[in-house]
Amino acid sequence: MTTKNIIEVKNFAMRFGNKTVIRDLSFEVHRGETFGFLGSNGSGKTTTLRALLGIYEPTHGELLINNQPYDVAGKTRIGYLPEERGLYKKESVIDTMVYFGQLKGMLRDDAYQFALEYLAKVGLTGYQQMRLDKLSGGQQQKVQLGITIMGDPELLILDEPTKGFDPVNRRLLMDMIADLRKRGATIMMVSHQMDEIERLCDRVLLLKDGAAKEYGTVAAVRKKYDGAHIEEIFIQIYGDTDEIGERFSLNEMKSSDKRNRRKGNK
Amino acid sequence: MRRRFFGHNFATVYRFEVVRTLKKKSFWAGVLAFPILIAGIFGLTYYAGNQSETASADLVKEKFSIALTDDSNIISPETIEQVGAKTISNRADGIKKVTSGQLDAYFYYPKDLAKNHVEIYAQSVGIFENSRYQAVAQSLLQASTLAQTNAETIAILTNQVNFEVQTFRNGENYNPMMEMIAPGIFLVLFYLIIATFGGQMMNAVVEEKENRVSEIILTTIRARTLIVGKIFAFLTLIVIQMAVVLGFVIAAYLVLKNHLNLPSFDLSQIPLDPARILVSFLIFTSSLMLFSGLLVAIGAAMPTAKEANQFFAIPILLIFAPLYIAPMMITNTTNSAISFITFFPFTAPVPLMLRNAVGNLNVWEVIIGIAILTTTAVTVFIIAARLFQTGAVEYSKKLSLKGLFKRKTA
Repeated sequence: MTTKNIIEVKNFAMRFGNKTVIRDLSFEVHRGETFGFLGSNGSGKTTTLRALLGIYEPTHGELLINNQPYDVAGKTRIGYLPEERGLYKKESVIDTMVYFGQLKGMLRDDAYQFALEYLAKVGLTGYQQMRLDKLSGGQQQKVQLGITIMGDPELLILDEPTKGFDPVNRRLLMDMIADLRKRGATIMMVSHQMDEIERLCDRVLLLKDGAAKEYGTVAAVRKKYDGAHIEEIFIQIYGDTDEIGERFSLNEMKSSDKRNRRKGNK
Repeated sequence: MRRRFFGHNFATVYRFEVVRTLKKKSFWAGVLAFPILIAGIFGLTYYAGNQSETASADLVKEKFSIALTDDSNIISPETIEQVGAKTISNRADGIKKVTSGQLDAYFYYPKDLAKNHVEIYAQSVGIFENSRYQAVAQSLLQASTLAQTNAETIAILTNQVNFEVQTFRNGENYNPMMEMIAPGIFLVLFYLIIATFGGQMMNAVVEEKENRVSEIILTTIRARTLIVGKIFAFLTLIVIQMAVVLGFVIAAYLVLKNHLNLPSFDLSQIPLDPARILVSFLIFTSSLMLFSGLLVAIGAAMPTAKEANQFFAIPILLIFAPLYIAPMMITNTTNSAISFITFFPFTAPVPLMLRNAVGNLNVWEVIIGIAILTTTAVTVFIIAARLFQTGAVEYSKKLSLKGLFKRKTA
């Protein structure tokens, strides 16, 4: 039975040794929506995605996709673009794409055809036999994105998809995401491009101190902050922490410097 | 159409790994390097040998003035005449004639050749060419001696007498060395595979981490499917590699057999004991599985191939250490140390295969040994898959055992 939520995270907590990364996080991603998952660097966004995809075991709580923990052999078709990007660098573009397409359940010929069409679409016609390490960083990103959307994914999880893209390619990517959404895919994305989040996402979650600081539709979150844009809200939420941190560090340094000078005078 | 079952993914990984490796020039360079190197060395040795024989023959043929004094009374007048030498009664005169340039060479054969040196005085004709004098002095001695000795004595003294040994067990002809050959091949094969390809096997899964592909892989297929697919692909490549080398060796043997007077091998003389061969095959297979798993597990715990290679000494030590007590494995099977290394899974492959080859492994030892190897191999595979999954996002540090059991897998 198809449910409203494709993703459900309930009371998720994650600790690495003594370090608590996620304290208590609960949220849902509705089927067919574009969901922005935001937070400052090190706030636990990637950890949450990894736990959702079964790479990490949660310390506490439940992370469900289609009502069950993610299973690679299950029926849910997922496209995941991790933050740590990489491909088999010494292999050709086409071989790599066909390989991943097949692993995602496509027939070899279908995967081959899809790869050719995708490469044409992103301006990489003629590059199919080239080794991946001979491509530029941006071109490799395009290939990786192509692999992510292979196998007609119903859920796309994109961890900073525009990282390393120039504005032209960023626009291309965003158009592609919009297109996938039109075709019914659910998209959960982590990004620091707040304007794009605001433009593409239906709902957002802003993660702070291991829990959801803000969570709701883009309009509702903006309304709460007097119509401010997501970027301004982001700075308002996380900027304070950084400023305090910076002030603390400066004060520490100054007092330490004073102590050293006093010792020197004696 | 979507296919996402184990067989499909296994076949996809297997095919991808085999095909991409076969496409690499470095693979074929590695495959062909060994036979080409051996052929090169063989050819060079053959050429050098030929050259040296020709040079020696030329030297002997070369005419130069020789005189000699023979106090040993071995050199026959006929031999002296054949090389056109003269005899001088006084040693000092001979030396003087060389130093004054009247003679090219003077040889002095003392009375007791077993105790004294043959003295050679000659004009220097170059660092290598000077050896011609000794060659002639020696050929004079040999020719004179051979002329006075019969063929049998010569054969005895030059170890050219052939022996044929026949031993019996239970009234039937039995040659333990020949019996060892067929089952022993698996032991040789095991050493060859681990020592030659172990490093590559260990790095099989490091590639995913080094290239930052492991996260995508782990969200697409199960870790164990990837590992099993890679190992089977690797074993296939080893078979291809060995078949090429073997084919090359056989072709070279057949082509050069008559030209180089290579010895003939009668393979029909090798006894084949199906039971022992089967046991060897089973021990070999389970041992290979165990060590493949161990190598992959080491690789899975390391962030880079460089760091993984530092641990390659461990499996190598485990298979080579038992060799130090190999004689005991053959003669003293009741020794507790032998029992320990026979049944300790990580040292078991060598004693089990060796003892089976020499025929001193009991049926119950075979059953227990194979059971231990298989069980451990499966356990090690599970640990390797867990290590790969747990360490998948540890891009820059080694995975600790604590980390393995503390954190998670899907």
